[in-house]
Amino acid sequence: MRRKLAAGGVRRVPARRRTELGLIILAVMLTGGLYALAGLGKAGNLPANIGPFLIIIFALIFAAHFAVRRLAPNADPILLPTAGLLNGIGYVFIARLSNHEARLQAVWTAIGIGCFIGTLLLVRRGRDLERYRYSFAFLGIGLLLLPLVPGIGENINGARLWIHLGSFNFQPGEIAKLALAIFFASIMVERADLLSQGTRRIGRFLVLDPRYLAPILVAWGLSLVIFFAENDLGSSFLFFALFIGMLWVATGRHYYLGLGAGLFAVGSVLALKVIGHTRSRISGWLDPWAHSNTSGYQLIQGWFAIAAGGIFGEGPGQSNAAHIPEASTDLIFAVIADELGLIGAAALLFGYLLMVGTGLRVAVRCERPFEKLLATGLSLIIGVQTFVIVGGVTRLIPLTGITLPFVSYGGSSLIANYILLALLLRLSHDTETLPAPAPIMEAVSA
Amino acid sequence: MNRQIRLVGLGMIVLFVALFLQLNYLQVVHAKALESNPLNGRAVVREYTAKRGDIVSADGVTLATSVPTPDQFKYLRQYPAGPLFEQITGFWSFTYGADGVERTYDKVLTGGSSPFHLPTSLSGLQQLFSNHDKSQSLTLTVLDKLQTLAQKELAGRIGSVVALNPKTGAILAMYSNPTFDPNQLSSHNLQQVQAAYKALQAVPGGVLSPGAYRQRWFPGSTFKIVTSSAVFDHQPSLVTKTYPVLSALILPQTTNLLHNFAGERCGGQLMQLFTVSCNSGFGQIGLDLGAGSLYAEAHSFGFGQTPPVDLPFAAQSTFPTADAFTHDLPGLAYSAIGQQDVQATPLEMALVASAIADGGTIMTPHVLDKVTNAQNQVVSTYQPKPWLQATSTATAAQVTQLMLSVVNSPNGTGAAARIPGIQVAAKTGTAQTGTNKIDAWFAAFAPAQDPQIAVAVLIPDQPSQNEYQGGTLAAPIAKALIQAYLSTAKATP
Repeated sequence: MRRKLAAGGVRRVPARRRTELGLIILAVMLTGGLYALAGLGKAGNLPANIGPFLIIIFALIFAAHFAVRRLAPNADPILLPTAGLLNGIGYVFIARLSNHEARLQAVWTAIGIGCFIGTLLLVRRGRDLERYRYSFAFLGIGLLLLPLVPGIGENINGARLWIHLGSFNFQPGEIAKLALAIFFASIMVERADLLSQGTRRIGRFLVLDPRYLAPILVAWGLSLVIFFAENDLGSSFLFFALFIGMLWVATGRHYYLGLGAGLFAVGSVLALKVIGHTRSRISGWLDPWAHSNTSGYQLIQGWFAIAAGGIFGEGPGQSNAAHIPEASTDLIFAVIADELGLIGAAALLFGYLLMVGTGLRVAVRCERPFEKLLATGLSLIIGVQTFVIVGGVTRLIPLTGITLPFVSYGGSSLIANYILLALLLRLSHDTETLPAPAPIMEAVSA
Repeated sequence: MNRQIRLVGLGMIVLFVALFLQLNYLQVVHAKALESNPLNGRAVVREYTAKRGDIVSADGVTLATSVPTPDQFKYLRQYPAGPLFEQITGFWSFTYGADGVERTYDKVLTGGSSPFHLPTSLSGLQQLFSNHDKSQSLTLTVLDKLQTLAQKELAGRIGSVVALNPKTGAILAMYSNPTFDPNQLSSHNLQQVQAAYKALQAVPGGVLSPGAYRQRWFPGSTFKIVTSSAVFDHQPSLVTKTYPVLSALILPQTTNLLHNFAGERCGGQLMQLFTVSCNSGFGQIGLDLGAGSLYAEAHSFGFGQTPPVDLPFAAQSTFPTADAFTHDLPGLAYSAIGQQDVQATPLEMALVASAIADGGTIMTPHVLDKVTNAQNQVVSTYQPKPWLQATSTATAAQVTQLMLSVVNSPNGTGAAARIPGIQVAAKTGTAQTGTNKIDAWFAAFAPAQDPQIAVAVLIPDQPSQNEYQGGTLAAPIAKALIQAYLSTAKATP
């Protein structure tokens, strides 16, 4: 610490990072306890590998913590421990469901943390991202459309959102949403004034200038392409909501919200008419009991699991998860609600809300509009994605195949979320460092 | 921009509150309704997947055990003895429920009935957080050795063998043909299970209803044990009444005749009538006793009552009520020799023999000996208790003399059951079931001075020829069981 202080311009380092370390130890203890209980619940004795397990998760998250210490020492102390806790809870439940997937998830976690450190290393200042906006735009759109390329694209469960290279499956849409968030943030900030004044007077009416309508129509078109070509309702909605949300935040014009809702409705009706996959999802949502063996099956089994949990849950490892389809990915929230009950499920939701809230606080504290908007976008991704999958599993909205951030089994999702986390921490570090009234502070401390 | 960002935060909170409310609805408000939804298989599967203890024979042979499986049912119930013990252990099927001991002692096997204790040790705390092994194993009173012998002696013929300890009511063997392999119903392949069940339903003779305690036949002359007891209990003067030697009894209210078996001529006092199983004599005894006395005696021997055996759906043995005979005196004569409307399960006839063996008391028949927990500690032991006081000790002693005469007299019908050095008391039965069809019965106990085992054997639907009388067909099976059991009992005092 002393060394860093000497480097100059760095405030509150010890306190923030010490807080983070304390929270990390708490998160590791919670994860370890949960792992032990799940082992007890499932096999009747403590897991044999509890020692190595604790060491490995502590080593992984401590590596991330150490990177933050060196590379973004002023960043917010809550985000990393919360993400680590969610990741740990997710791992415990994946291990409780399938040893094979747990081993893979452990590898993915390590790669995810590697990407987290790599992102912090590579992106030294948040504002640098703005310069590569079109590269990110092409990267994002390219990744989104990659599954459509014959030969590497693959259909899983009726949706074409996977690519496979050899025995290696990857969902490029997960990374694409980050690239697009960066692109949106930079382009919207630049054109915010134009976009917010895009009305023209015709007679006595103010109407939207078609020129400024163009970007929103392009985004809508792109989300429809994802919708139609890849059958990915969840990603399509996430992408569109991200765009409209960021546009509204950038311009402060409410009609974008109305326009977005209207376009989404039109797109939904269009999709419903054309795509059978979507139609069955919707009918399974509106009346799952009538489709209890087909499109409503997942939903009903998820409901039964959640209901079986009650307030206190059946206990980690003690439910019969064999009833639940896609238990480790789409429906992992149902397994958690079953075994940890209302209390555990609510705590998990609170963890996400904490991350979203912290992310938005970072956005508020950012000085420059680009960083502000990017932090908002990244927070929106976590919040909307959580809402879409948890709302889907609990039947607030139609169930779509999308991952629960940090918790669900899946490599691409985990990597994307760790990169997102690194970007948020980078932005957070920038805002806490930027004012840099360094000479005065140094004078005071000296 | 900050205003919008705060509004985004507010919007997120609204969305998450909506999620939280929906969770409350699912996990608290609506949880009961979802749990009882007919589509919800969780409760059924939870019950079905609970670990069950083993079922073990008295001589240590595993009859039922649970093998871990990787599927959603967690354990596969297996019956290593196959069809041999099906009618006792029953089966445990996801689709068709349970039968036999699996049904009666379901809660005991899963430990569902064991009380909850607050943890007092570290291992107790460990058990609180885990689905620890609460299962309990059952040791039965049934001997694999006797059960195997019964199966071997029946040699594939349809029929039943029931052996029990008259002093405790412990069932030592209970085997019937036809039987089936319970493994085909406990399988996790639901299509195969359904196909197997269909095939079993189609088997003539009702393979899903154990013959030994769920099916009834005319007891024939073995019922004369009850009729004779009625004589001692209600009208002792008939003991020394000499009945005329006849080949057939002329029945009142009709021109019908009650024939002796194969047209034989017989008569004399009760001892002679019992020894040769004289139908004409016993028909007249029935008429002399009257419907009221005979009904009362039958009822006290367990007819018209469901035996409290620890197996499900035990059938009642039947004897018509007294007023049914007011205008049907021939029916009374036929009932006195175990025909017409008298029907008994093989278990009931074993209990009749055990009543005489145990000084007039019928002990509650049972197959459970003791319950053991997963740590191999005995949790509880079956305490024998009387079911009925069928008759007096004095009458039981008198009827024992009659039954000894059946085996020991030169003209007794049960000579085939004689065992050197062991006094066997018995009664044969050859019930007419139609033209030229008989059910061969044998009810016995031994040793007469200190009864250890009571046996009933039934081989139904045999051609009506001399060698198929109960004394020739069924007696050797009873003899084999008695010999086998008494030699074991002697070897292990």
